[in-house]
Parts: sequence; C-alpha cells; structure tokens
Amino acid sequence: MFELLEDAGFTDVRTAVVPGFQFRMESTRNAAEAYGVKAMMITATKPAEG
Amino acid sequence: MTGADQQASLEGVLKDEILRMYQEVADNPDAEFHFFHGREAAEMFGYDPEWLDRAPAGAVDSFAGVGNPHERAELKPGETVLDLGSGAGLDAIIASWRVGPEGRVMGVDLNPSMCHKAQANLAATGVSMECHEGRMEDIPLPDASADVVISNGVVNLSFRKRRVTEEMFRVLEPGGRISITDIVSGRELSQSIVNDPKLWAA
Repeated sequence: MFELLEDAGFTDVRTAVVPGFQFRMESTRNAAEAYGVKAMMITATKPAEG
Repeated sequence: MTGADQQASLEGVLKDEILRMYQEVADNPDAEFHFFHGREAAEMFGYDPEWLDRAPAGAVDSFAGVGNPHERAELKPGETVLDLGSGAGLDAIIASWRVGPEGRVMGVDLNPSMCHKAQANLAATGVSMECHEGRMEDIPLPDASADVVISNGVVNLSFRKRRVTEEMFRVLEPGGRISITDIVSGRELSQSIVNDPKLWAA
C-alpha cells in the first residue's frame, strides 16, 4: 500500500499498526497470523500545486 | 477465458459477496462474523464513547471498520470530507460533527441501500451527507472535490488497489490528505484465498 500511494503521487506517507486489531474467529485469526495480516493506520498528502 | 476475463468474473463474484456480507452486518448486527463489529469493535479501536452514545444505534451496531481513521485525520471546521465505503455512516457522522455546519461530508458506497441507511442515520443526528452509489475504483466525483478522504477497512476489498489509490489522489484537492485504516498482508495471499470471495470479503 505504501508503494501504491507513492506511485499515485502522494507524499509524506505514514503508517502505524492499529493496536488491538484481531479477527473474531480463531480460524481466521490463525490464517491472518500466518500471512502477517495487520490493520494499519495510513496517512498521506497530495502535494499542493506550484 | 483470458486472464482478464477471469479477473473480471472473479471481481463480479467478489462484488456480490461484499454486498451480501456487509448487508448482513447491517440487517443482522447480532450475528457473528469473522471480524468484530458494532460498538465492541469501535471501542476496541479507541472511538470516543461519547461519540458512540450520541450516534444512532443503527450506525454504531453496523460498524464494521478495522481501526479509527479519525485518530489521525485532524479534520477541521469547514473542510470537505469523502468517506470511501461509507457503510451505515458512523465515520461520516463523526466527520460531520468535526467539520461542522460550514463543512461538507460525502459518502461513496457500492450498496445503494447502505447509502440510504447512512443518510437516515446522519439525518437522525441533525446532519447530512451526499451519498453516491459507486465503486472505489471509479469514484463518482469530479477531480479535486475533497479536502480529506477517510476510509475504514475498505481498500483491502479491491482487486485493483493501484487504481483505488489513483482515484483517491484524483478526487483530492491539491494539498489534501487521506487518513485511512485498512488491512494489509505481509505475504502474498495463496491462490485459494484469492479465489475464495468469502475469505477475501472477510
């Protein structure tokens, strides 16, 4: 996602993990852990013109 | 069938599954899903309990976000906000409170019935939102129409995330910003997950 935002033209891309996020069901939680799935907070800016 | 045809077919199936799943959250909020939802989820992500007390139960109970985009959005009075994937409207309601009567909130959702539900929930709190039925890959808004794009647990549902980021960039005013919360994977998902709309939509 970081790279996609920069490719689109965004600057100042910042990310942080959402604390406490998890899936409710154990089977989904286990699969998510295996794939390194996380919830992220992402902010970015579209440069001002000129 | 070409690769492009296969992707289009899978996208169509995925769209139907997303519509079904999130409609079910809205219609049957007491059911169990793969993800936490409702007030339990919102509190988990640090939503101000005062917001949750003040918002209509219909918006709170159907909340299906994965974080709190308001935490870093720094919304200011008078700003125009787009909530991409506005669902039942909880994030749009909070955005409306923060931008105030001089501001403006717009929503885009794949599901027209969710647009109607969100608008009813906003109206119940005395605020309003334009809601447009549409896809995040083709946002139905002109260029430079928002100061801020917020989104909560939606971009991950797209097969065309590059296109979504380009669209968010297009609809922002120069100097505008995004504050989104979403699911990312540290590893490439297996083909069995990619090809399973139920798992993808979860």
